[in-house]
Amino acid sequence: MGKVIVITSGKGGVGKTTSTANIGTALALIGKTVAIIDADVGLRNLDVVMGLESRVVFTSMDVIDKRCELEKALVKDRRVEDLMLLAASQRNRKDDIKPEQMKDICERLKEDYEYVLVDSPAGIEQGFHNAAAGADEAIIITTPDVSAIRDADRIIGLLQNQGIDLINLILNRLSPKLVRKGNMISKNDVLDILNINLLGIVPEDIGVIASTNKGVPLVHNDSSPGADAYMRIARRMTGQNIPIPEMDEETFFSQILNWFSRKN
Amino acid sequence: MDFRSLFTRKSKTSDIATQRLKLVLTQDRFDINEEKMKKLQFELTQVLAKYFQFTMNSVSMSLKQDGNSYVLMADIPCGRLNPDR
Repeated sequence: MGKVIVITSGKGGVGKTTSTANIGTALALIGKTVAIIDADVGLRNLDVVMGLESRVVFTSMDVIDKRCELEKALVKDRRVEDLMLLAASQRNRKDDIKPEQMKDICERLKEDYEYVLVDSPAGIEQGFHNAAAGADEAIIITTPDVSAIRDADRIIGLLQNQGIDLINLILNRLSPKLVRKGNMISKNDVLDILNINLLGIVPEDIGVIASTNKGVPLVHNDSSPGADAYMRIARRMTGQNIPIPEMDEETFFSQILNWFSRKN
Repeated sequence: MDFRSLFTRKSKTSDIATQRLKLVLTQDRFDINEEKMKKLQFELTQVLAKYFQFTMNSVSMSLKQDGNSYVLMADIPCGRLNPDR
């Protein structure tokens, strides 16, 4: 029996879909069985990010309306074994699906897969509630900026109200250089504000753009800092004890700079 | 890097962001705005005024995050005990 993890953020554009694709692929690369559900009905994107757009025939809507079996609707990944995608319908709207129907799909998938990841749409409306309906745990994605953190806090509250207590944070697109300069909120400040467990930090990595262009998740390229970060996150999720590297710690030089600016 | 920036005091924008976030999240979590806070402050000081002598505009109140919990901080410089109490 596997577990269902919803990947969500509140705010759009912080990297939910990219993170879902990479975490799912990374888990499959280390030998786990993974099913990913795109819950962004009407605005599906996981298929293109994973490079599977040409293979999508059926969607979760077809399963719900009993036009096809769940197993038949799953799209097999092109590169890794045991990685499946259940695409979202592009023609329907988020309120065409009910939370119970989504929960039913999650329950059935976790009988066969160790990890069921649900990529949530942005927002706090029906689409989010559907995505979270069958979840045992949640991963919150945030970037170190005021609006994303504020929305993350709101989402954490909503998930807790729903009875999901296991909530982990991924801090995405952190730029250690900007943190050291004092122009980006640091990891410690984000954790202090949100007060939840940190699952990992993904540094800003321009490789993401090329990887999305090609439809090949970053983790297939083993020399990028983003790929390393996602691989470590996946290993942590499987229970391995992998320390989170300090990316924004102050260097000797930045300490001297800060000392000067404080003096004057 | 501009050499002068080494010696001039410039507040870090990350600190400003953190402070603003803490404030806004307190409001979000408690659904309390400035107006409500003023009302609370007014009603609270009405009660205190029965016992102490103090000037209304010397009172300051705020909600502050302290780790996991929140603390209502009230700074009320009070004078003598009200003679009729």
